[in-house]
Amino acid sequence: MGWEERQVRGYPEFVRTAQRYHGRPIFALFCGDKDAEGKSWCPDCVTAEPVVRKELHNLPDESVFIYCLVGDRTYWKDPNNEFRRNLKLTGVPTLLKYGTPQKLVEEECFKAELVRMLFTED
Amino acid sequence: QEAAKYEKKVMVVDFVMPTPLGSSWGLGGTCVNVGCIPKKLMHQAALLGQALQDSRKFGWQFTEEVKHSWMTMTESVQNYIGSLNWGYRVALRDKKVMYENAYGEFVGPHTIKTTNKRGVEKLYTAERFLIATGERPRYLGIPGDKEYCISSDDLFSLPYCPGKTLVVGASYVALECAGFLAGLGLDVTVMVRSILLRGFDQDMANKIGEYMTEHGVNFIREFVPIKVEQVEEGTPGRLKVTAKSTAGNQIIEGEYNTVLLAIGRDPCTRKIGLDKVGVNINEKTGKIPVNDEEQTNVPYIYAIGDILQDKLELTPVAIQAGRLLVRRLYAGATTKCDYVNVPTTVFTPLEYGACGYSEETAVEKFGEENIEVYHSHFWPLEWTVPSRDNNKCYAKIICNIQDNERVIGFHVLGPNAGEVTQGFAAAMKCGMTKEQLDSTVGIHPVCAEV
Repeated sequence: MGWEERQVRGYPEFVRTAQRYHGRPIFALFCGDKDAEGKSWCPDCVTAEPVVRKELHNLPDESVFIYCLVGDRTYWKDPNNEFRRNLKLTGVPTLLKYGTPQKLVEEECFKAELVRMLFTED
Repeated sequence: QEAAKYEKKVMVVDFVMPTPLGSSWGLGGTCVNVGCIPKKLMHQAALLGQALQDSRKFGWQFTEEVKHSWMTMTESVQNYIGSLNWGYRVALRDKKVMYENAYGEFVGPHTIKTTNKRGVEKLYTAERFLIATGERPRYLGIPGDKEYCISSDDLFSLPYCPGKTLVVGASYVALECAGFLAGLGLDVTVMVRSILLRGFDQDMANKIGEYMTEHGVNFIREFVPIKVEQVEEGTPGRLKVTAKSTAGNQIIEGEYNTVLLAIGRDPCTRKIGLDKVGVNINEKTGKIPVNDEEQTNVPYIYAIGDILQDKLELTPVAIQAGRLLVRRLYAGATTKCDYVNVPTTVFTPLEYGACGYSEETAVEKFGEENIEVYHSHFWPLEWTVPSRDNNKCYAKIICNIQDNERVIGFHVLGPNAGEVTQGFAAAMKCGMTKEQLDSTVGIHPVCAEV
């Protein structure tokens, strides 16, 4: 069946989408919002996204890849935002395998090898 | 990781043979998965239970009865361990260290065969090998042991609360587990063949036993189990244990939900093909003798950690030995691992920190007339208000009279013993004498000032 992508914005939409696909492997990439020209306020996210996208073909069958925009810079800097509180995210970009302690944070997302490891290994 | 820093091509081969009950775990070895880390976290869970009780005396008011959920605790602990396993895999990959989750064994000079869980075999050759396979819990060899008993390998991920538990053994593993299980509110009995904490200062070992007895742990002394039978299946089920006295013919029986074996650990050295490359092992114990540079009798094969003969079985010792070894091999360093004055802590309900000689060993080595022991009971300030025991915490130092009263043994029994001991270990490494200790002003009010 291959894998599919869902694009969401904000915490409630993320949770709803993750719940919809419960039972399938879910991978999520969290990035800062993009402006009208499609550029994110988060420079590391700009670097990481193409690296991650290049590895997507390694996703196991049946997986869901959720591309999630977290919000603007002010929202993200708030230490009490829902992503920090509930998902324990500490930075953007974060790439994780939902429901496991497996994640890559910030510069780790620039490394194709690590992204591939997250997607393909147990 | 250290070797990779020096641009060597490195591979790690790690595989966990599942326990008789099927438990297994990820990358990181015993300490991370089924040792120090989960143990300390569960010990902390038990301490927090005690703290909740104490808190009422300090003015905290809550009407609900406080209960403990084994599942919640275990899930949190396993989650943390999972993040450590992942962290190691990221670190290895990042430093270009190859990792094979497969069972490694020597098949010939400079050659190993790896077999993964799907049975796929591969061969690898290398210039040098480092064996750090560690140990696994020993079983009793009695009917019912592998089918019905659990070990520490199973305990920290047990998917159900163990209930009424019989702990067999008097090692620090046995006492620490018995301690936190009792602290979580479970009915715990410890069956001891002879003495507690063999190899540790016996004066301190007895005090630990006394404290545990006074705080709800039952001890059955001088008995060994001879049979374990299942009365009822379940999670947990009910088990009947039959035991025989070591001092006569008396037989006793008891019923428990869980039987935890903690009678010792055996090195994983018998089935890794060491005979094919001529590495000597102690046939009786399975341990590997090495020189002071961690080299086995085969020059290109080294070993570190719990499998070494006559060396301390502690995580930091193994890590230190490994790092120094690599620096000697690839960075021209000459420092060898110092196995003297290594501090340790036993995380029983009343924690015990020690560094250096036990009283018995000091007497044996230096003679009773040449050592002086200074000791004191103390009452932690935090224990006064909730009326906790005022004569249980204890500290003693052993000094060598012939060497300027140098402190050669440090022992403390009390809260946060590990934290207290670390600093004194550094002082002992510097050769602290009793006079220097006396002239150090104490921090007040803390336990360590004693």
